[in-house]
Amino acid sequence: MRYVLTSILALCLTVCFAQNKQVLYGLDEVPQGLLLNPGAKVPQKMHFGIPFLSQLHINGGATGVSVYDIFGKSDVDINTRIRNKIFELSNKDYFTATQQLEIINFGWRSKKEIYFSGGIYQEFDFITYFPRDLAILAWDGNRDYLDYPFDLGEVSATADLLTVYHFGANKQITKKITAGIRVKLYSSMMSIRSTDNAGTFTTTLGDANSENIYEHTVADADVKVHTSGIASLDGMESSEIPGEIIGRAFFGGNIGFGADLGVTYDINDNFTASASILDLGVVFHSKDVETYHATGSYTLDGIELIFPPLSAGQSTLPYYDNLEDEIEEEIPIDTITSGYSQLRPVKFNAALKYSFGKTMGKSGECDCMNMGGTVERDQALGVQFYSIFRPKGPQMAGTLFYYRRLWEFLSAKATYTMDPYSFSNVGLGVVTDIGKFNFYVAADNLLRYGNIAKAKSVSLQLGFNIKIDEE
Amino acid sequence: MPLSMKKNFLKPLAIVFLGLLVVACVKDTDFDQADDIVLTPVVELDLIYFNIDASEFYDEVSGTPILTLSDTTEIRFLDDTEIQESLKRADFYFRFTNSIPRDFLVDFQFLSEQQDTTYATQTTVIQGTVASPVVTEFEEIVEGDDILALTMADRVVVSVTIPDADPSLEGTLNLKSKTTYYLEVRDRQ
Repeated sequence: MRYVLTSILALCLTVCFAQNKQVLYGLDEVPQGLLLNPGAKVPQKMHFGIPFLSQLHINGGATGVSVYDIFGKSDVDINTRIRNKIFELSNKDYFTATQQLEIINFGWRSKKEIYFSGGIYQEFDFITYFPRDLAILAWDGNRDYLDYPFDLGEVSATADLLTVYHFGANKQITKKITAGIRVKLYSSMMSIRSTDNAGTFTTTLGDANSENIYEHTVADADVKVHTSGIASLDGMESSEIPGEIIGRAFFGGNIGFGADLGVTYDINDNFTASASILDLGVVFHSKDVETYHATGSYTLDGIELIFPPLSAGQSTLPYYDNLEDEIEEEIPIDTITSGYSQLRPVKFNAALKYSFGKTMGKSGECDCMNMGGTVERDQALGVQFYSIFRPKGPQMAGTLFYYRRLWEFLSAKATYTMDPYSFSNVGLGVVTDIGKFNFYVAADNLLRYGNIAKAKSVSLQLGFNIKIDEE
Repeated sequence: MPLSMKKNFLKPLAIVFLGLLVVACVKDTDFDQADDIVLTPVVELDLIYFNIDASEFYDEVSGTPILTLSDTTEIRFLDDTEIQESLKRADFYFRFTNSIPRDFLVDFQFLSEQQDTTYATQTTVIQGTVASPVVTEFEEIVEGDDILALTMADRVVVSVTIPDADPSLEGTLNLKSKTTYYLEVRDRQ
């Protein structure tokens, strides 16, 4: 059990590219592919996911550091290793985790050849950039960093727990183009974010004219933390909280709207291009909102004693309270309860696929029903591009893939993904269609499964569906 | 869905999960090392400062010298549980600049919330003149058991004693001070 727990812990800790489902993208045999590109080609006539089992997605990771770097067996003291990592990492490194659980997923082809699909899924998404300066301050203190301005603006983190209700339509518009759109309704259960912060903290040695030995200065602080759905939990019994949060999953919380757009274009017999934009949306936080905003500048010199003439029994001056009041006045922390809106992290996918090998199924070399379109073949090679907008700008990844339909009932896709932090991410996905049952599993960073502790990121998706193919 | 079908599904699901957990192993790691993680920041922080004019040692109204001036300030963080658990050593540094032609005795008395003295120290400040002030430095390193006593306190009483004073006395006694806190922060459970 301990072993399993450790494995899960390691997964969570390592679990780097949140939300990049590079293995599933373009794998048309999986109905959930429509969530990655609403304009994907849909082979089936109808599908429905097994409730709660149709898609489980876990993804997490960190740039620049793995579990092994910290917890690996070594003669070097763990504290030395942590300290070395703190200095090695930059404030652009980040830690992230994403989890999605599909509750319902279904789809059907209408008489007008439009494939409608919809469903509900729950998502947790977390990212924090590494606040390097604050880590140094916490680890080493300020003694060896006189005159060094510690950057408070490095704090940048977001965490969201929400339910997504979605409905989409997909249609082959011309022989070459399939396009789709999906509208999304977000029901936010909890959200916390602190981005675009600023300010510095510096300790300088005073000169002859200074009040005291040092000057501790917070300059131009502007630090904001938005919370939504958190403040009301404060006074609650811990047993009430799960019920309250689940209630918010069903429109009890804050609401948002968004859309996914996608298109697939058959260039010729062999080449297919596709692209999608996901979560082009916004969540309006208006209920249960608390924003804490600290702004200002202050220089601390310590406490000045003025030796007032006091008669016996008179109490002394409240220097410490006065100091606290003074700081609160100079750097006030305002609590704002007015609403705010939050953009969803927009994701962009694009792919170019070259199909070759034997032709498959009904689409023979001469398919009168499919003139001009790409002929379905049993093998494909291609490239994919992925990017997601994060607080400090887009994160990007490139993927090379090889697809092979091994038998009528089994397809596999292998990927090799590169991002600025890892050049050895190999992934594999397998889809089986046995009768009407569809099962898929996709995972990346397989080279690291031998010792997941060394992986900087792990991504896993799996699920079951029932698919009814065209007669 | 019929029960048999459900079974058919649970099995492969379980196999996949177990398979992943078995294939995905974590090697050569020791998570017990988490217990050894300890943060050791060394924090430099200003303490108190003052400027006492020589005239404050003489009461013009009653025509008598005031030989001891005393003042108290809270240092509220000093007896926080976190500080009590983490503080290993505190180096106090006091720098007096004296332009009053008298030696001073300066007492620092740390009191708990209940007004009990938990730690005390004193120093002598050498006399100077208005033309050439004299600097006296005083360092007090507190560690070991004394740290326990020090962190019971949440305020400090500073008493400045002059041997004698008269209305003609001139000059200022200035103090600047700071503390270096050596912390060891670990997860205590």
